[in-house]
Amino acid sequence: MGIIDKARIYSPWLYHLHCGGCNGCDIETLAALAPRFDVERFGIQLVPSPRHADILLTTGCVPKQFIPMVKRIYEQVPDPKVVVAVGSCACGGSLFYDDAPENYAILGSPDLLIPVDVYVPGCAPKPEAIINGVVQGILKLAEKASKKE
Amino acid sequence: MSTEIKILKQVLSNYSKPMTLNYPSAVSPDRKYSQIPAGLRGIPERDNDKCIGCRACYFVCSGRATSIYDSDAKRKVEIFLFRCTFCAHCQEACPEEAIKMTDKFEIAVAKREDPSARVVTELDLLKCKICGTPYASKKFVDRAYERLMEKIDQKVKETVSSDFKKVDGYCPDCRRANGVGFDTHTKKHVWLEGA
Repeated sequence: MGIIDKARIYSPWLYHLHCGGCNGCDIETLAALAPRFDVERFGIQLVPSPRHADILLTTGCVPKQFIPMVKRIYEQVPDPKVVVAVGSCACGGSLFYDDAPENYAILGSPDLLIPVDVYVPGCAPKPEAIINGVVQGILKLAEKASKKE
Repeated sequence: MSTEIKILKQVLSNYSKPMTLNYPSAVSPDRKYSQIPAGLRGIPERDNDKCIGCRACYFVCSGRATSIYDSDAKRKVEIFLFRCTFCAHCQEACPEEAIKMTDKFEIAVAKREDPSARVVTELDLLKCKICGTPYASKKFVDRAYERLMEKIDQKVKETVSSDFKKVDGYCPDCRRANGVGFDTHTKKHVWLEGA
């Protein structure tokens, strides 16, 4: 493992992608980033561009209008990358899930479009649960970084 | 007034110690979290002995998380936690109080098929003696009989009990088709024997 990979694991940068939803998970995610629960002590920092990120944190179910943006943002994140889906909407579609007929406006979970590495169910998950999910994501990031070489 | 004092205490403590909560908790080794609010609804847990497979939780589930799979001789009652909104409607609706919301909330998993993302109960199904289709779980019928006997008047207890035993073992359709006949001689509805 090179020095860059080692550094990446100790300070993974996180991009928060809000796909669509009620904002509950976003509030909890921001609470996890803010001083009270403080993921920054693990070196995780919120970045404004997916091009700087290692972890893509998605919340909410994907509306059909948003499908191209999700794909594009996923492709913009440089390798190795980890996707963490936060909330019941991002995990399984939650209230918007329909077997048949399919929902006319909402696709559902982003894992239908992009590979999701860690699921954090909850409506909305507590900040501690999000921290747990992100830390599991870091372990996966380490795995992916070591595989690349 | 007490809330104001509480707020004041919090404000003053922010100057004396850091407000960041420890994770995992440093309060004591057996407590994992620094703070769990009272009445937190975490993941639901089902008591496998108490559950009778009556489908009440399935009908009230708001997020379509609860599903019921009937195979040949087994009924599988399942809560898929990826879709669960932790609304506790199933806890409210459960007639046997089998479902309880716990205060566990850390269930980050890597795969959809992970067994920890599902709350599963399996029950035996009864088969109809005539057509052979499974119609209700054994526990459900037993418990229905028990509750009927608890509530009913003493005078009619034996009649109802014998009537219940007569139709026991048939699915609702077969019961309707074969159970009751019209006796043209006495002009009364009668139970058909051997149906």
